[in-house]
Amino acid sequence: MVGEQGGTRRMLTGNAAAAWGARLARVEYIPAFPITPQTEIIESLAAWCAGGELAARFVTLDSEHSMITAAGAAAATGCRVFTATSSQGLLYGLEALWTVAGWRVPLVMVNVSRGLAAPITLEPDHNDILAARDSGCIQLHAETCQEVLDSVLLAYRVAEDPRVRLPVIVNMDGFYLSFTREPVEVPTPQQAADFLPEAQGEPEFRASRPLAQGVAVLQGALYSHFRYQMHLAQEAALAVHEEAAADFEQICGRRYGAVEAYRLEDAELVLVMAGSFATKARAAIDVLRSEGKRVGLLRLRMIRPWPAAAVAAALGHRRGVAVIDQNLSPGLGGILFQEVAATLARSARRPGVLRSFVGGLGGKDISLGEFRHVVDVLAAASDSEDLHGSELLFTEADWQQVQSLVQLAQFPETQAVPSDDGRSEVRR
Amino acid sequence: MLRIRFHGRGGHGVKTASRIVGTAAFLSGFYAQDSPIYGAERRGAAVAAYTRIDTKPICERGAVAEPDLILVVDETLLADPAAGVRVGCEFASALLVNSGKEGTALATELRLPCPILTLDLTAVVLAVVGRGSAQSAVLGAAACALAGLGPLERVLEAVQRELVELGLEADEQARNLEAARRVYADLSAVPARPRLPASGQVELHRPTLAKGAASRPIILAVGNAAARHTGRWRVFRPVIDQEACTRCGVCFALCPDGAITLDERAYPVIDYENCKGCMMCYQECPVHCISERQEVQAW
Repeated sequence: MVGEQGGTRRMLTGNAAAAWGARLARVEYIPAFPITPQTEIIESLAAWCAGGELAARFVTLDSEHSMITAAGAAAATGCRVFTATSSQGLLYGLEALWTVAGWRVPLVMVNVSRGLAAPITLEPDHNDILAARDSGCIQLHAETCQEVLDSVLLAYRVAEDPRVRLPVIVNMDGFYLSFTREPVEVPTPQQAADFLPEAQGEPEFRASRPLAQGVAVLQGALYSHFRYQMHLAQEAALAVHEEAAADFEQICGRRYGAVEAYRLEDAELVLVMAGSFATKARAAIDVLRSEGKRVGLLRLRMIRPWPAAAVAAALGHRRGVAVIDQNLSPGLGGILFQEVAATLARSARRPGVLRSFVGGLGGKDISLGEFRHVVDVLAAASDSEDLHGSELLFTEADWQQVQSLVQLAQFPETQAVPSDDGRSEVRR
Repeated sequence: MLRIRFHGRGGHGVKTASRIVGTAAFLSGFYAQDSPIYGAERRGAAVAAYTRIDTKPICERGAVAEPDLILVVDETLLADPAAGVRVGCEFASALLVNSGKEGTALATELRLPCPILTLDLTAVVLAVVGRGSAQSAVLGAAACALAGLGPLERVLEAVQRELVELGLEADEQARNLEAARRVYADLSAVPARPRLPASGQVELHRPTLAKGAASRPIILAVGNAAARHTGRWRVFRPVIDQEACTRCGVCFALCPDGAITLDERAYPVIDYENCKGCMMCYQECPVHCISERQEVQAW
């Protein structure tokens, strides 16, 4: 891969696609810190920086907290910055993420989703990226490796637009995209340059002109003003993304919306999902369609800003809508369900039934049978019944597996184990 | 869609093998997807990798639970339920085991609901590529042959592309290509097994709050790592000639796994249950009293 130019269709992992996105964006500064399953992104970029394919300064930092701070500081000088992290790393850098978003600096970060500890896992779900939901960063969630690459390019257009000036996080699922190769069309350097010109604007920070960034505002009114400005900038990003997506289509031939519809035209029942597991939903929808069920998919690509109008337009008139969240807010349920429900509650037309499911936690498969279950629940539901909580997509086979492992880990034969009231007891 | 699953241990090259097949399919104009799955990366630990091939965009992701082809680099994995080699083998039109045994003998031994093939890939690698080499090229070529991907030149191009990506030297590439050529010639395509469309019926479980510790991720059982015998990973077994041994203790000191102890007379004793066959003792013995023997069967 080293030494090659873009402009061909090739087999790329999501991680390699992210690195290509940064390379084609001609990024100038890459602060980095390794974490599985993201590390290959920075390994690729480091190799290109060393080999001369990419004229960027690559710096390893001591933590994600420093990394994000360095990314924000560099972006404030007007140079194009790329960085990447995942899971625990994202959370470790979370404080800095809020800070650099508040600085209103454009940078692009890829997050490779991985379930959060504890217990520890390496496989994906979206609790990591949704922990950054309210940071002020824009969020684009990719379904394919192609979309990872294209979204990095789109992200710079949105981040650097004077109406926006906010960090953008491009999210992909660990393993399911990060380590999975599939055919990816790599734009040519010329296409990338046509779509994404050099970073515009006079740098605010210069050594010869000291100024303060991220200042203290010890007045509620001033604080309110600046925070609400972030909100308005986020809202402006919806239109900016549309403009960028139209340009991208013209140059590269692929179109991306804030949401994506699959077989939605005449669908009575709609599944709502984000990320690479939407691919599994497509396959299930094809099977269910072949059985005569009018089912479709709405994929949430842009999570922040929240594309309320597009969501309401796509879902308002359906007989049933099920949000399958690949995340869990303990004590509440699926997170995106809350946002979809709130949008529909304010909308003039509401679907007959609305249900919440949680699936794919820690990378657990969502099988055809589980999608079938969701659709069966929707089909049988009536609007008069109470809204249930979030149902976990978890099969009897999953339960058998869990039971045997928990048994092995906790209750080995004739072993003394402390019971909850502190006394030891012998179990068989 | 054709689904291929590879099983091996970290270092065997199953990830690269899955990529060789993915690239060969891609170069043939198919849609392809390849991916590995592993836990905490570790040489010697069980690893699986998958390749999916289709004439239309692939709408599956993650583990292959219903493989058309299964390829196993290390036959000891067949005895390890955690490696999941047998998962979905009733769908497979062939399960190829890297083994010097006869296919029919292994089939009788394993009693699996799919045809068993054997080929001594290790022998080819040892003869053509050299010791300590990964089996990616031969494994990838074997999978291409079984899947009916070709012609040979395209398969070799796929092998070469992946080896270049790994940064192998030109002579090493050439030896791997020769090994791949031999293996590809030894196998022919197996017809896909007809399968019914999946009904996709599952029973859902509604979790309830578990009592006490079963609700929390906590291990109360005593450590069981000792029950996992890493000696199964060996390709070569070090053997100490006690007549020649000077009891200098170098092997004892250098064994990275603590698999060499000293007996009451200070002679080194190898714990074959846990010796991984790194052969460091063989390399370092000052009087060359440690020899190597290839394992025939480790389980």
